[in-house]
Amino acid sequence: MKKLTFRRLAFILVGLVAGILSVASIDSLSAREKQVVELPLGLDPFKVPADNPLTKAKIELGKQLYFDKRLSSDNTVSCASCHDPNKGWSNDAAFATGVDGQMGGRSAPTIINSAYFPLQFWDGRAKGLEGQALGPIANPIEMNLPIEKAIEKLNEIPGYKQQFKKVFRSEITADGIAKAIASFERTVLSGNAPYDKFKAGDESALSPEAKRGMDLFFNKAKCSACHKGHSFTDLAFHNIGVGYDKDKPDPGRFAVTNQEGDRGRFKTPPLRDIHTSPPYMHDGSVKTLKEVVEFYNKGGIKNAQLDEDMKPLKLTEQEVADLVTFMKEGLKSENYPHVDPPELP
Amino acid sequence: MKRITAVTTVAVLMAMTSLVLAEPKVETVAEGLTVPCGVAIQPGTGHVFVADSAAGRVVRIVDGKVEDVIVDFPIDKYGKGPTYPIGPLGLAFVDENVLAVGGGGYPDAKDKLRVYNIPAAGGDALNADEDDAAALEIPATDKLAGEGNFYGVAFTGDALFVTCNGDDTKGWISRAGVKGAKVGPFMRAIATKELTEVDAPVAITVAPDGSLAVGQMGEISLPGDGLLTFYDPKDGAKLANFETGLSDITGLAYAPKGKLLATDFAWADTSEGGLFQISAKYTKKKQNIEVTKITGLDKPTAIAVDDEGNVYVTVIGSGEGASGKLLKISNL
Repeated sequence: MKKLTFRRLAFILVGLVAGILSVASIDSLSAREKQVVELPLGLDPFKVPADNPLTKAKIELGKQLYFDKRLSSDNTVSCASCHDPNKGWSNDAAFATGVDGQMGGRSAPTIINSAYFPLQFWDGRAKGLEGQALGPIANPIEMNLPIEKAIEKLNEIPGYKQQFKKVFRSEITADGIAKAIASFERTVLSGNAPYDKFKAGDESALSPEAKRGMDLFFNKAKCSACHKGHSFTDLAFHNIGVGYDKDKPDPGRFAVTNQEGDRGRFKTPPLRDIHTSPPYMHDGSVKTLKEVVEFYNKGGIKNAQLDEDMKPLKLTEQEVADLVTFMKEGLKSENYPHVDPPELP
Repeated sequence: MKRITAVTTVAVLMAMTSLVLAEPKVETVAEGLTVPCGVAIQPGTGHVFVADSAAGRVVRIVDGKVEDVIVDFPIDKYGKGPTYPIGPLGLAFVDENVLAVGGGGYPDAKDKLRVYNIPAAGGDALNADEDDAAALEIPATDKLAGEGNFYGVAFTGDALFVTCNGDDTKGWISRAGVKGAKVGPFMRAIATKELTEVDAPVAITVAPDGSLAVGQMGEISLPGDGLLTFYDPKDGAKLANFETGLSDITGLAYAPKGKLLATDFAWADTSEGGLFQISAKYTKKKQNIEVTKITGLDKPTAIAVDDEGNVYVTVIGSGEGASGKLLKISNL
């Protein structure tokens, strides 16, 4: 008993110290979670917060909440209204439209592979998917439903009350809503594209045009300076000059950090299945992928914080076309993450 | 008996606590530096050399006195706000009298790795463009951007390895062979970004087993993405890659007994910056890392450790002008 007490004390002390000083706080997918989510070819495992492990029941609850328009003040807008699986998990307009036809000043970023982003929204103001999930519900120009009222509304729906009890062993809470929606969003993954098969050794997976485009992507066109890794994003923020031809450019990440270097910086979007989610850029100002490449080919729009990699690329017309082909064909998943709206409680 | 056990328990717990939470002693060795970005300890004398970057000079610190060793390096600027003027960056001794200096004062493709025969303490300072100094560049090619901002320099015994910040699609570590007095050629050697999918090799040092330990800074706007990667200097093969949870590793150095120390600048939130101990173990089958914060520091940029285990760290500090310091950290 004495020995046990000493060991316990020692373990507690060491555990406390390690807990205080250790940096890690999120874990990669556990064995059980790997059974719940299948990673497509080409993707690395993503990290999941230790206090929000993925379970089938939680993902299903999150899916229902994601598609449920009752989470808006007038029952007309759901998460899926602006992040629509049929539209690249974005929408097909420059800006998202909220309740009463209100519009914001930024486009709806895709949910595809958002599991990998440590910071969410175009300006990174939210930490992780859990930190992001409640924002649009409460935002007056999006779903316009204060979270307390959202909880009240959901409490009137027995099916939700039962599921929260089962999943979280609790009443309906804001924390639970965020965790469930985040868990569902983590399952929206795109991989298994011709590019992945080519990388795995199938030389025939890419057309000659797409192969040329891939070479440009990683070399002359310097796309991979920011669009890197398995999801073709560095998960970070850059100023490429979008909006600097207007009177009052969007300050982007500067509004979050107040660091001058972050002025006009926006999150690098992932590129898998990018052909499904036009228009492009944070303000939806560019209609096609060809126009996107042409924007970069010109070196973006000059401003004091323009990223130093933004220089004229001197791409020929054929090279522009090859790059577009690489993105359209090479990064098109054979298993696009389509999800049908579920039956709601 | 109960009392003895209780006393023993408390004593052991206190000892464990002091082992883990020993308060490091931080002393200021030199002040008035401007954006110091490199530090190295001279073999034999134990003198500490600092790249006083924005002042365009390399200095020697003897008994707290700052003495010019090489002056008039060109100055460029780094960052979009905050912006830092930078000149000489990484430092590494090839032998007691030969010092390699990584340059950051020219545009990419024009920056130079220079190797100097340095004067003894008290001697006249050299000019950065001294005729007898080797000055090596990595120009652009048809497909690759020219290299620059040579932030980290490490000497393996037969070559200098230098972290580069020019081609953001590849993240090169370059190599210059050293044979007697001959240094070069200076060539791209390890495409770290292709091997790790993370940007910007910055810190570099030689591990006790001869491998290269490299701190991959990642994106300065993204916290927590810093990597520690080990490479075989013979063929550039990646031996292990660790996510550290640190943000922007600027310096790596081994203390006696193989303890690895790192400085984290933490651009996105510099209040998180500091000195860290990293325990990184790997075999072909598994790897394990533990990262422990030793002390907070105000924008640390480089690190070196002397034979006694005293740690020297350069910090940019806060405030206008010459707020940079060389710190000595002991009692680790």
